[in-house]
Amino acid sequence: MKRFECLQAIAALVKDELFVTTAGGATAEWNAVRPSDGNIQVKTLGLCSSIGLGLALSLPKRKVFVFDGDGALWMNMGSLATIGLHRPKNLIHICWDNKQYESSGGEPTVSTAGNIDFAGVARNAGIQSSTSVSTVDELKTAVSRALSHDGPHFICALIEAGRAEAPPLRYDELENKYRFIRYIEETEGINILRIPMPASYQLK
Amino acid sequence: MGTTEGARQILAGLKAAGINLIASVPDINMLQLINLLCEDKEIAHVPVGREEEGIGVCTGAHLAGKQPAMLMQNGGLLNSCNGLTTTALQFGIPILLLVYYAGDMGDNAFHMVGLATEPVLQGLGIKYTVMRDPAKVKQDIAGAVMAAASSKRPVALLLTRAVL
Repeated sequence: MKRFECLQAIAALVKDELFVTTAGGATAEWNAVRPSDGNIQVKTLGLCSSIGLGLALSLPKRKVFVFDGDGALWMNMGSLATIGLHRPKNLIHICWDNKQYESSGGEPTVSTAGNIDFAGVARNAGIQSSTSVSTVDELKTAVSRALSHDGPHFICALIEAGRAEAPPLRYDELENKYRFIRYIEETEGINILRIPMPASYQLK
Repeated sequence: MGTTEGARQILAGLKAAGINLIASVPDINMLQLINLLCEDKEIAHVPVGREEEGIGVCTGAHLAGKQPAMLMQNGGLLNSCNGLTTTALQFGIPILLLVYYAGDMGDNAFHMVGLATEPVLQGLGIKYTVMRDPAKVKQDIAGAVMAAASSKRPVALLLTRAVL
């Protein structure tokens, strides 16, 4: 299966969930499939799972998706143990496993040799709801289940290599951050951004 | 190990400054502080396995409206440099870095880490204060949290044995 058709299938299942997307092709494709201020891009390879964990722990009633990759997850495998320790019920972690560093030119990752079972690693790290899928129907079933049951959930999606045609992101990191925070403020009814009061305002 | 009184002062300073989520990797000199954190009900404590994970957790927490801090040794600060640059600095995320200053004058461990710490912070463009005066703990923490919030960048406090 291709990542793009998987993303289209997920887009049909979600509403206002938050999405943290790894440095790589999944970000541009997801923003093409589901443009939303509820999407935040990640620039540090591997850190998407940790950022997603921080979001999920801080907004426990909001579903948070993480889109990871096999190269990125290899760089931060410890994050599976940390998620398995804290067990946020609202975290849905999907690894798009194309068995290569696609954004770096296709070099092999830990997954290429076929020795590793990411879902097995996740399960044994304490993420009990952990599965691998290799068809779009299996993915839809796993995501629907994750949306209706307490997590954390880990889904390793075994995909073909290759990127779909997708336009570049419309927003840089800073604009993406501000829009994402404003989206959370509006949808959660909370105030996050506090602008410091200039000292002159305190003059009587 | 630090003293209970030092740890209490620091925790009180963090609460007064509005810090409400702390990710951590331990150091022996912060044992008392971490013990207090484990018992504390007001501040969410998120132990992580590697310090760069903590930068990610703090980033997610900030996006969700928390005021986060990352508690670690300076060796861990070096571990988290890529997360600090390509996430915290590039996205403009205020995070209080509470860093035990191993290899400082009077500390006999990790002298090479001590030597690299301040130049690395300077190289990253991260403001910092070396905390040496127990009477200024609250003031140092409040100042660092305000600097982080107004600059939207990580700011570091280097904790020495004198204040722990």
